[in-house]
Amino acid sequence: MNRPRLNHAIRWLKQACRRLWKAADATAREKAVEVLVYENEEREHIFALLVLGMFVGLPAPPLHLTMALAPLMEREMMLMLEKVGTAHDPLADLFGVLKID
Amino acid sequence: MIDLTTELHFFIGKGGVGKSTLAALTALSISDCKKPAQLVSMDPAHNQSDIFGCRLSSVPQRVHPYLDVAEINCDQWIRKYLKDTQNHLKDAYRYQEAFNLHGYFDILQFAPGLEEYALLLAFEQILQTAGDSNIVILDMPPTALSLKFFSLPFLSLLWLEALLKLRRDICAAKKIISRIRFGRTTVEQDKVKARLGAMIDNHRLLCDRFRAPSTHIHLVVNPEPLSLSEAVRIRSKLDGLGLAVDRIMVNKTTAGSDLKIVQKSFQDRSMTCYPLSPERLCGAQALTNYLKNRAYTIQTEG
Repeated sequence: MNRPRLNHAIRWLKQACRRLWKAADATAREKAVEVLVYENEEREHIFALLVLGMFVGLPAPPLHLTMALAPLMEREMMLMLEKVGTAHDPLADLFGVLKID
Repeated sequence: MIDLTTELHFFIGKGGVGKSTLAALTALSISDCKKPAQLVSMDPAHNQSDIFGCRLSSVPQRVHPYLDVAEINCDQWIRKYLKDTQNHLKDAYRYQEAFNLHGYFDILQFAPGLEEYALLLAFEQILQTAGDSNIVILDMPPTALSLKFFSLPFLSLLWLEALLKLRRDICAAKKIISRIRFGRTTVEQDKVKARLGAMIDNHRLLCDRFRAPSTHIHLVVNPEPLSLSEAVRIRSKLDGLGLAVDRIMVNKTTAGSDLKIVQKSFQDRSMTCYPLSPERLCGAQALTNYLKNRAYTIQTEG
């Protein structure tokens, strides 16, 4: 193999290793935060329930607080809607995150 | 910005005990001392127009050399608040205008709890526009609405502080997640947290304003059991909020009135008695004449 080809192969190998490392690192990091993300989404869900709980019959803060915060809470509303899908079996959701079969 | 120096006098009590009349008498006695004062009726019943015998509005009107009187239009404040809220909602959900769905927000005007918030907004406006009047006398609505008005900032503050704590936890967790995910902390401005912080500052100022030494609460009673027992409950509720009643004003006393029962219920407060007037108290002159002849104070030991 001539030298330029060898250099090219080494460079390609290096890049492939870097990509592989990056992918492995990203996967490991994503795995590491999986539970934290779930926990934090639950916090956001609780926040949404506290502010907008009147829609589902929960005690609510004074109306003007809800009115002031609601327009800024699009993400929390989406989370609430997502939760509706898993509301019938909340333990399955939790066990899924904790990898318990 | 809420001004903490203006002297505030709230007149509260059971419906029909004479809060408006005593607020007007107090306003006139201050004005007689050549101190600029403003009397504001927060009561939706708006008796000040009848008492001063002239048509009043939300714009302060001069009725005596040093006295301006205004009547808060609660419905107008609800409409203004809803208009602002609707604009805020429409900014966030502007796409709904394509389907003409935004009109459904109009139902918000009938939401419970708006009346006391409208009063609070009006109160903030009064403080900001008190102008040269260093003394503001507030003729309050009957008990239920008055107590909701006083407790609203305190109650809201409890909620806001709890929500802010939760929001801070959410933001802190997001920072940790971002540090682990990307190896660095990405700073994302949280609009909800910023809004909560601003609302807390505003509500704290209102609570401070209610508790400031320049704020005085006058509890109006009649020498009869019903208004007295309600006054005791009002005082107990205000105590719970950390607000002290400064003075008990016993209105419509007669020679046969049993004032001892009032003194017994409010031993640690000074009492001012206002005998029942034989003629109708209507117009600044009639009120001034009444003041000259009738009021007397009973100072009780604390």
